[in-house]
Amino acid sequence: METTPWESELTERLRRVFGEQILEFASYLGQNFLVARPEAVVPILQYLRDEVGFDYLVDVTAVDYPEREERFDLIYIVYSFSRNERIRIKTRIREGFEPQTATVVHPTANWLEREVYDMFGIRFAQHPDMRRILLPDDWEGHPLRKDYNILDMDNRWVKDNLGIESGQ
Amino acid sequence: MRKLLRTIFLVDLIQGLWVTFRNQHPKNIYTEQYPAQRPRIAERFRGAPRLNINPETGETLCIACDLCALACPENLIVVSSERNKQTRRKELTTFTYDTSRCMFCGLCEDACPVDALELTQDFELASYTREGAIWDRQMLEEGPKPTWYRY
Amino acid sequence: MPEATFLDANELILNMGPQHPSTHGVLRVILKLDGEKILGTECVIGYLHRGVEKIGENRTYAMFAPYVDRMDYVAAVSNGLGYCLAVEKLLNVEAPPRAQAVRVILTELNRIASHLLWLGTHALDIGAITPLFYVMREREEILNIFEAYCGARLTTHAFRIGGLQYEVYEGMEKQVKAFCKMFLPRVDEYEELLTENRIWKDRLVGVGVLTAEQCKQYGVTGPMLRAAGVKWDIRKAQPYSGYEKYDFEIPTRTNGDTYDRYIVRIQEMRQSVRMIEQAVDDIPEGPIMAKVGKVIKPPVGEAYVSIEAPKGELGYFIVSDGSTQPYRVRVRPPSFVNLQALDTMARGGLVADIVAIIGTIDIVLGEIDR
Repeated sequence: METTPWESELTERLRRVFGEQILEFASYLGQNFLVARPEAVVPILQYLRDEVGFDYLVDVTAVDYPEREERFDLIYIVYSFSRNERIRIKTRIREGFEPQTATVVHPTANWLEREVYDMFGIRFAQHPDMRRILLPDDWEGHPLRKDYNILDMDNRWVKDNLGIESGQ
Repeated sequence: MRKLLRTIFLVDLIQGLWVTFRNQHPKNIYTEQYPAQRPRIAERFRGAPRLNINPETGETLCIACDLCALACPENLIVVSSERNKQTRRKELTTFTYDTSRCMFCGLCEDACPVDALELTQDFELASYTREGAIWDRQMLEEGPKPTWYRY
Repeated sequence: MPEATFLDANELILNMGPQHPSTHGVLRVILKLDGEKILGTECVIGYLHRGVEKIGENRTYAMFAPYVDRMDYVAAVSNGLGYCLAVEKLLNVEAPPRAQAVRVILTELNRIASHLLWLGTHALDIGAITPLFYVMREREEILNIFEAYCGARLTTHAFRIGGLQYEVYEGMEKQVKAFCKMFLPRVDEYEELLTENRIWKDRLVGVGVLTAEQCKQYGVTGPMLRAAGVKWDIRKAQPYSGYEKYDFEIPTRTNGDTYDRYIVRIQEMRQSVRMIEQAVDDIPEGPIMAKVGKVIKPPVGEAYVSIEAPKGELGYFIVSDGSTQPYRVRVRPPSFVNLQALDTMARGGLVADIVAIIGTIDIVLGEIDR
């Protein structure tokens, strides 16, 4: 990805407050994003909401890169109604790391984080209700991981609950 | 005061009922009497697939290039061909199209370079068996034959 | 919500759905009641999960386009537009002006169709049966236009990456104009039936209130946000597909209750007609497809593009690894996020209101479960 550096009054402020916690400010196709350390994400969201006006958490999602040591990219998209600006916050986490939940800052993160857990198996620490949301509660495996083939399924669950050998 | 009168004389209710009565005129009937009356289907409608044949020679237009099979998101088209020894051209042997998995997106039709595969205006695709939904070359060339009902 | 297994003498757990006509699909809501009062709700979703995002990772860019229509099947054209815009952003191309104008016409028609279906089913839930027949009649006209334009009525697959596949058919302008002319008096007719109707008002005014602050907290967008008084619409805030060329208003209300959402959606249909009339009068000449090549292969990168779907902000976040298949497709579904506010809206209300509140969110389960 050929990014260009992102410099503005906002990045200056963030750099002043968070310093080393933010690894990179970049822009791709005119869309600005920052890469932060996993521990810093919730404080950044809090700061952006309270001090800058990014009061709407659009989305929380993840991307799986199995060959990388820090396997997952966790992506938060925030929007500011007053500034009409949308930025992304990216962080890299390894398998088994439990990032802090963003529900304390944005209640809407509740279901979005549950979906990330459901699809990628990333548990969020201190989340009020860390259960699966789309798949059945006793399903095994996390479908959006790259090592989960599109034809894979939890055969035991399918057999126990539907009484058929395979859903294919 | 006005509000009270409106409440007593049920103005809002009568207003609504007047709309209902206005729409009861026979010229406002909208129901189609399918299957007695055939619906009008748009020219571009994407329905049952058909393999076009050259009306003069009766030969298929398909050149067995396999592009439709590659374009299909559901991988439901299987094309097999044989190379003719004399003309050294590929000739179509079998063509199967699984309509039970088809979502009629039209990508195969767009991919066809010779307009051989086409989604037609036929829409009655029901079949008594699952196997009946898998169409072979003969079925694709002749088109579906839905039951005609009499009244 | 509090622990559902805990059962006090005064508390009753009532299961609603997944097979319930007023949940508009397969939504299951577990209600915790004290008499008729709702103490809490819990949604159980996922009955319609088909793994659309996983399918996207295993299809090429062009092949995935028909699948996105099947998420919000009532507004398939909007879904297709969002996906095409996201891939075009990655490719760094823009659809030609003629394609953009046609896209606007079809998306706005689709917005009307979606709001019409919402109005009919919502009114049916409340107990007004007549509007359902009328809205279906008008929706039929829109679906006929879709059928004539692209060959399908519901899951249209109308747009392609880079522009359009089909040229405008002969007589389309005339048909769309005739529809607009016929439709505005019909909206007045719906309003005559409902807006001042006493039963309708008694059932809706003050029910399911969501303030602007709560909307922002829960990420609620679309007509629900506008009914709470926030004048925000992506078509105005961050215009896409040439929306900046058209003159329209953003209808807003202040109370943020179910009645206000009804008014906002009715007004939105009028604004859509206004936009369609402007667009259809002035479809520019020119090509309908940008130069994208036969094989779509965006460079390595990622992009988030969102549009104003009938239900709220519909976003696509696509990561490309430089191959012909997307590395990751994330859909930000408006219904999914909006449904999360159900608990806040329903808490403290009566059990009869839950039907009105579910209806007012305008959910489509195909989009929630994907």
